[in-house]
Amino acid sequence: MLSVVALRSRRLEVADELEANELYQRSGWTDGLPIVAPTEARVAACLEAAGMAADEVLGTEPVRHLLLTAEKVAVNAVMAGCLPAYFPVVAAAVQAMCEEPFLLHGATASTGGSAPVLIVNGPIRRALGMNATDNALANGSRANATIGRAVRLVLVNLLACVPGGLDRSTLGHPGKFTFCLAEDEEGSPWVPLAEERGIPRGASAVTVVACAPPRQVMNEWTTDPAEILETFTAEMRANMLGYSIWSGNYVLVIPKQLRDLIVAAGWQKQEIREYVHRAARVRRSDWHRVGKGRVAGGEDTEFAALGSPEDLLVVAAGGPAGGFGMVVPPWFGSKSRAVTRAIGLCLEC
Amino acid sequence: MPITVLDPTAEVVTPAGGMAPPLRSLAGKTIGLLDNGKVNVGGFLDHAEAILRAEHGVAAVLRRRKPNMSAPAPAELLAELVACDAVISAVGD
Repeated sequence: MLSVVALRSRRLEVADELEANELYQRSGWTDGLPIVAPTEARVAACLEAAGMAADEVLGTEPVRHLLLTAEKVAVNAVMAGCLPAYFPVVAAAVQAMCEEPFLLHGATASTGGSAPVLIVNGPIRRALGMNATDNALANGSRANATIGRAVRLVLVNLLACVPGGLDRSTLGHPGKFTFCLAEDEEGSPWVPLAEERGIPRGASAVTVVACAPPRQVMNEWTTDPAEILETFTAEMRANMLGYSIWSGNYVLVIPKQLRDLIVAAGWQKQEIREYVHRAARVRRSDWHRVGKGRVAGGEDTEFAALGSPEDLLVVAAGGPAGGFGMVVPPWFGSKSRAVTRAIGLCLEC
Repeated sequence: MPITVLDPTAEVVTPAGGMAPPLRSLAGKTIGLLDNGKVNVGGFLDHAEAILRAEHGVAAVLRRRKPNMSAPAPAELLAELVACDAVISAVGD
């Protein structure tokens, strides 16, 4: 076990766990929900689980050059309610968000109010008891809930992404509390997302996407994969008109009932991507009918939701019953790009 | 029994940037106008430029636009602006 003396954070004495929560709430160190007291032993256990030294730098915030150390990230993971075994996922998510394509500053400060959505692949999902089926995008799993929350607390406490401060979200969305899902790899014949994005099969990984609020669709009246996907793309077109017309990394979450129909027709994720790339398009003149005529411009240019088919992240997740799917739009076009990072191993080393 | 908990913040005080000495006058100066790339900045800076020229006698105005409104200005763009006597960095939402 790592010695607690290696921890360099300022120590605070409090009467008990309840008082710790009150202190952290008063200090603006939470998301508003109660926290678990980050004691030395709990933080050290997180670092030990990830095999990380306290002063290991997970990443550097690219604009203000702020260092995110494993110790400080672990403090926030404990506060979020993470068990030590969850910490490698939190650490990998933070590393991914510090990579240049994620555009960490813009994605966390913007009035657009995005949240990082975390998509977990590989054996660590089952080891941690992550949920990928019923209620896949919402409450129920401690791992899903607290890993996503840990990232938010890191943003609040280490990068000062405080509402009205550096976080200038006009509205934000509920995913800013926590937004972490796992892919249902066992329930899908498709290549898992992380493997498609270069992570070796059998390794675990997390993909982070700066996302706008998710938009649910439903179609239980067809077996035709093109019709099913047309429902998804219609929602993407609505997003392009109502929210942002720019292309970027959209995530489609496809549940079992719809997946089985698409699979039965022989479609893999690549066919889905190609269909959506062709179909999810609007014309600038369409802005006239959504109140944006003043900036519709003179040329009737076509805009695609995806810059290329590879922009689409297709994720198998959701309960067995129901023809519901989710479109998770990008925060603001392609300014921030999805980043996938292996958990607990270095692919370049 | 009391417990010891850890400070969750960065605990790093970013050194404050020093203030440049104020200009006594704008007359004859070169003023940079940095547009953050949003739709409404242009009009604002057009007005600012007109006022700077007509009422303050600036010698030159260097207008530049950030290629990505959500990212820092590129180093080469900042290097150009360094030559100015003062820069107005505008955000238009």
